[in-house]
Amino acid sequence: MKLQNMFKKTSRKAYITLREKPEVPHGLLRKCNKCGAGIMADDVKKGYYICPKCHGYFRIHAYRRVEMIADEGSFEEWDVGLSTSNPLDFRGYEEKVEMLQNKTNLEEAIVTGKIAIEGKPAVIGVCDGRFLMASMGEVVGEKIARAVERATEEKLPVIIFACSGGARMQEGIVSLMQMAKTSAALKRHSDAGQLYISVLTDPTTGGVTASFAMLGDIILAEPKALIGFAGPRVIEQTIGEKLPKGFQRSEFLLEHGFIDRIVEREEMKDILADILTLHQRCELPEKMEHAGTLIRERKKENESSEKTADEMEMMEESIELIEDAMELPKTVEMGAWERVQISRKKDRPVGADYIDNLFTNFIEFHGDRYFKDDKAIIGGVADFRGMPITVIAQAKGKNTKDNIERNFGMPSPEGYRKALRLMKQAEKFGRPVICFVDTPGAFCGLEAEERGQGEAIARNLFELSGLKVPVLSVVIGEGGSGGALAMAVADEVWMLENSIYSILSPEGFASILWKDSKRASEAAEVMKLTAADLKELGIIEQIIREPNEFTAATFGGVCNQLQQEIALFLGHYTTIDEKKLVEKRYSRFRNI
Amino acid sequence: MINKVLIANRGEIAVRIIRACREMGIETVAVYSEADKEALHTQLADEAICIGPAPSTESYLSMERIVSATMVSGADAIHPGFGFLSENSKFAELCEQCNITFIGPSAEIIRSMGNKSQARNTMIAAGVPVIPGSTDPIYDAETGAKIAAEIGYPVIVKAALGGGGKGMRVAETPEEFESSFNTAQKETQAAFGDNTMYIEHFVQHPRHIEFQILADQYGNVIHLGERDCSVQRNHQKMIEESPSMALTPELREKMGQAAVKAASAAHYTNAGTIEFLLEKSGNFYFMEMNTRIQVEHPVTEWVTGIDLIKEQIRIASGRKLSYTQDDVQITGHAMECRINAENPSKNFRPSPGTITDMYLPGGKGVRIDSAIYSGYTVPPYYDSMLAKLIVHAKNRSEAITKMRSALGEVIIEGIDTNVDYQYEILNHPKFISGDIDIEFINSLSGE
Repeated sequence: MKLQNMFKKTSRKAYITLREKPEVPHGLLRKCNKCGAGIMADDVKKGYYICPKCHGYFRIHAYRRVEMIADEGSFEEWDVGLSTSNPLDFRGYEEKVEMLQNKTNLEEAIVTGKIAIEGKPAVIGVCDGRFLMASMGEVVGEKIARAVERATEEKLPVIIFACSGGARMQEGIVSLMQMAKTSAALKRHSDAGQLYISVLTDPTTGGVTASFAMLGDIILAEPKALIGFAGPRVIEQTIGEKLPKGFQRSEFLLEHGFIDRIVEREEMKDILADILTLHQRCELPEKMEHAGTLIRERKKENESSEKTADEMEMMEESIELIEDAMELPKTVEMGAWERVQISRKKDRPVGADYIDNLFTNFIEFHGDRYFKDDKAIIGGVADFRGMPITVIAQAKGKNTKDNIERNFGMPSPEGYRKALRLMKQAEKFGRPVICFVDTPGAFCGLEAEERGQGEAIARNLFELSGLKVPVLSVVIGEGGSGGALAMAVADEVWMLENSIYSILSPEGFASILWKDSKRASEAAEVMKLTAADLKELGIIEQIIREPNEFTAATFGGVCNQLQQEIALFLGHYTTIDEKKLVEKRYSRFRNI
Repeated sequence: MINKVLIANRGEIAVRIIRACREMGIETVAVYSEADKEALHTQLADEAICIGPAPSTESYLSMERIVSATMVSGADAIHPGFGFLSENSKFAELCEQCNITFIGPSAEIIRSMGNKSQARNTMIAAGVPVIPGSTDPIYDAETGAKIAAEIGYPVIVKAALGGGGKGMRVAETPEEFESSFNTAQKETQAAFGDNTMYIEHFVQHPRHIEFQILADQYGNVIHLGERDCSVQRNHQKMIEESPSMALTPELREKMGQAAVKAASAAHYTNAGTIEFLLEKSGNFYFMEMNTRIQVEHPVTEWVTGIDLIKEQIRIASGRKLSYTQDDVQITGHAMECRINAENPSKNFRPSPGTITDMYLPGGKGVRIDSAIYSGYTVPPYYDSMLAKLIVHAKNRSEAITKMRSALGEVIIEGIDTNVDYQYEILNHPKFISGDIDIEFINSLSGE
């Protein structure tokens, strides 16, 4: 039965009412300009200016942003009172600026100053889109330049929240010059070894993208922010084509290697605080210094004193005891081919497992800043017993889906370029670099050649050889050829007991020399690719013992071992003068 | 006085409110989700506004949309019914800010009564009995035993961080206390990594007795007698009746006064309910206050002759209570059975679908509050209650016979219902004897 329009309506009694008609007070309810839903303004204000319905981000006023990032009461504003000289004598410009000043209570399109983030001081600049779309006129450029200069002088990191339409048309060529001015100031800041974090928010375009916004040591972005040089409409008109969905959004830039990380607004303060912590120049933690002394003493002892047979026996006994405690098996006799197969086992811990278990506070950074983010290499900064470290790992996946995404751990040129970028960053900030090598080889494909796979690997060998910070490489699975070496021009190279490191895969070796890839097992035996072989050849310094069944479940012992050894490594190498360090690394390879 | 009410609810309660408004000459606005286009409340109201898709978070729980619908329709008041936004202080506050009359108590009262510890403290201050318990954390059995003696046995030892029944032990006597405490503490330590304990009087086999309250804006508070809601399954009430077999006139007087005291202490306005746990000994304890109309309100309406929804609207319009405590006389016995679209043999699994045919009983002393009709499709998104069957008779045994007879006439085809299950309860000797507590339904599953 349908009931439509079948019931009689209420016979209305008109009551006299003295109350005023209901009305929604101004500003109580708002409409989300993204999803169109009605939302309570208060929820938005208390919720980081994010739509509670569609999770879209609203643009934020500069001072609100400062409040969201800075410790309460820590903000000290700099360089107030600068005003534009209207260099083109553009008609109506001064009036427009004045009108905006009155309307927004802002002096100009950027607010600069000093803040503390969880106690750590930083210089901040925040663009405000309400002011001529935060276009960069002389005042904006000047305020940024001054803030950066002062930061360089006071040895403070700089954080700039960019949001801009680009250059300010009303100021013509003078506006264009601000791009050079801000970039130049940032160059000096960088040369002074200081940190600059750029945070891109919606929208960051034009001359701002082409200057200070893209120059961060670390570039963060808010989700779904429009970031680009030319505006999408201009591009569409020029090429006469419709642009794909998501073009020029943060996610698009992340994929294309131009930003390090997308950070949700709720987490921005925490992430910034973590990054600042990991960039504080810290003295070598005591424990590691102690470890360094120990290792030196131990070496001296070994060299100088001749041990009696009793002493040797005692030492061996104590080593056994340690091994028992770590639940490590006795060294097992095993064929090379068997070890090759173990090194490729699917349940073997991968790069990401080492990062998770050996370090804390790992912050991953993405992209090569040229073309793409290669998921076959994971890299970033992390904390190792109080010491900031740059960690880079060749990343195999844990399952087929993961492996497809990570290209089975075979890096492309952009992966090596990302690694190099992070290594250079480590050098700038004086952080040791730890690499985990696990690749069947560099990716062999059309696109890889197009973008210069050979050049990318060569560049890494070239730069790594002279990197002014300690570099440690640990081969954890397969160390396949040049693709592995590109991350192993190190002060020391260690290998897991059942990992391999070779000129080529045994299959490739057999196929080149004997025209039969099926003779791979035979090849493995003659190639000298096991850890023990390579130790003997003097190619590597140390073998890390493995349990019989090496999986995530039995990972603990290896981690403990690695942690101790890494501490010793850092304790020793961080005390070496950088010239000597580079010299030592040079001779390490020179002598082979 | 209110001229137009928007009903921010669905189902039978929306229909119930629309009917009260119609009788008072107040225009009604229904709001409905896309799944409720054909619903009775949508059709019965003078106007209906669609407020969004089926999921209640995007429709019946969307404050912004409901307020917008109120503005569009020109309604001057909102009745929230029960469930959904009825006890949401933020919604009540939003109505206050928009000058919409919220038919219920103020946002402030909803907030304070919704906060368990605040409500408990208010009641302690007003001298309303609450379940006695320790105020400070307890770490050892010796201190615990002293406090347990003050509280009175039996006691229950609970983990301060408790949950899921872990770290809970009952001690019937002082002799048992030490071992109960230690066992509970060990479990607590294991489960939560903490050994902070809390001791509370253990309320044994209580009845759920609640008192209906009406309060106006001028400080007049009356109670409309009790409802016995002890027949419940997993805290879901199934049958409610008034008066309760467990209350002597003296106890009713005492509990009624406590309820009035509780409501006054909360500065309560509009209709509300004070829930008590009643022990066999006659000791009763405040549990919580419901700051809205309840599902089982018709039971009270029938024994008192007072239309609670109309009274709610009058109070919200700023009128004084139409009744004094002396006007309230309990006549006869009323009983309500909730009829749900669910399958009792499949662990009460909800059973949405189309009602192909139906017949509902009538006659003297039989009332049906429902929102279903032949051809109506019960949507899967909301509560499964289809109808409430309420009977009124001279006394309890006649009410039971009448309910049995009426239940026997209920025919709902096309979907599963709990009618037969209710019928069985009505025939259960223990229910007939009236000697039941809140464990009654659970004890049946063992039979």
